[in-house]
Amino acid sequence: MIGIQIFLIVVLVFIMGNFLASQNSSRTKAWKKMLLLAFFAAAIFIILLPDSMNRIAHAMGVGRGADLLLYGLTMAFIFTQLNSYVKSKQEQRRLVVLARKVAILEALSKNSHD
Amino acid sequence: MKSETYIIIPVYNEAKVVGDVIREVKKHFKHVVCVDDGSRDNSAAEIVKAGGILVRHPINLGQGAALQTGIEYSLHDPKAKYFVTYDADGQHQLDDVRAMLKVLDEGEFDIVIGSRFLGKEAENMSPFKKALLKMAVKFTNRTSGLQLTDAHNGLRVFNRHVAQRLNITMPDFAHASEIVERIAQENFKYKEVAVTIVYTDYSRAKGQSIFNAVNIGFDVLINRIIGK
Repeated sequence: MIGIQIFLIVVLVFIMGNFLASQNSSRTKAWKKMLLLAFFAAAIFIILLPDSMNRIAHAMGVGRGADLLLYGLTMAFIFTQLNSYVKSKQEQRRLVVLARKVAILEALSKNSHD
Repeated sequence: MKSETYIIIPVYNEAKVVGDVIREVKKHFKHVVCVDDGSRDNSAAEIVKAGGILVRHPINLGQGAALQTGIEYSLHDPKAKYFVTYDADGQHQLDDVRAMLKVLDEGEFDIVIGSRFLGKEAENMSPFKKALLKMAVKFTNRTSGLQLTDAHNGLRVFNRHVAQRLNITMPDFAHASEIVERIAQENFKYKEVAVTIVYTDYSRAKGQSIFNAVNIGFDVLINRIIGK
């Protein structure tokens, strides 16, 4: 096993361990975890057998393994960007509801309807 | 009718003009709810000085959020029967409000919307803005299935039923499209009434940037995807 392989696997295991420990488990998040586990398995598989990436790419009609990796990365990037956009919009709505409550309570305590 | 009507004015950095607008409205209506949307100038002080009811967002949330806050505040008064959304920059006319309230009071409609393109022409409106607003109306009519001539007018008058069910969630300027969509979803009985908008140098400078049309269109589509 060469140095870079050991390094990458150690880093991956570390990230995975942290991820699984930090997230509070709920059913809605379960599928994301499954995907992530599959990703880690695939990553370790490819680190150990780098040539397999080329073979998979050829089988899918892509020139090089590195190209396939780039396509995959692009998709993953777009997905996470959209995901965080939607999340931030949802957060914004929660914030609006909260701030509105504060504003109304403050106003009601100052001005009484007559 | 005067004491059953709530005028709701979203205010964001309008310290220069909001006082005069409130004083003018106060001559005819008792309840003027001003939602200060986290202004950085002294709008809040001007509102209090002019006798408006101040409801103050702790942070800036957007005009749509301010309108919803004003509506929810007004609903706390069980006697509130009519709700008017009114701009802080003085571009709306109180005569129009009275005419719209009269239509609403007849009871046939739930919501009466001001239109700049129905009969009377908008004063001093730039041709480019006119073209853009007409395009916006086509977009809104297409997505909502309603037949309106002006979807982005800030002057609206509606009854308690609408106030309770409107539930504006789009915090920024996309709320105008959202209100039209809500009218379609809830089957509110609506009517458009011709109103005059006076574009002063002040309101023109404060008005929405043309580029905002892109933001609004995008937000409306995203809202579809996210859902409520």
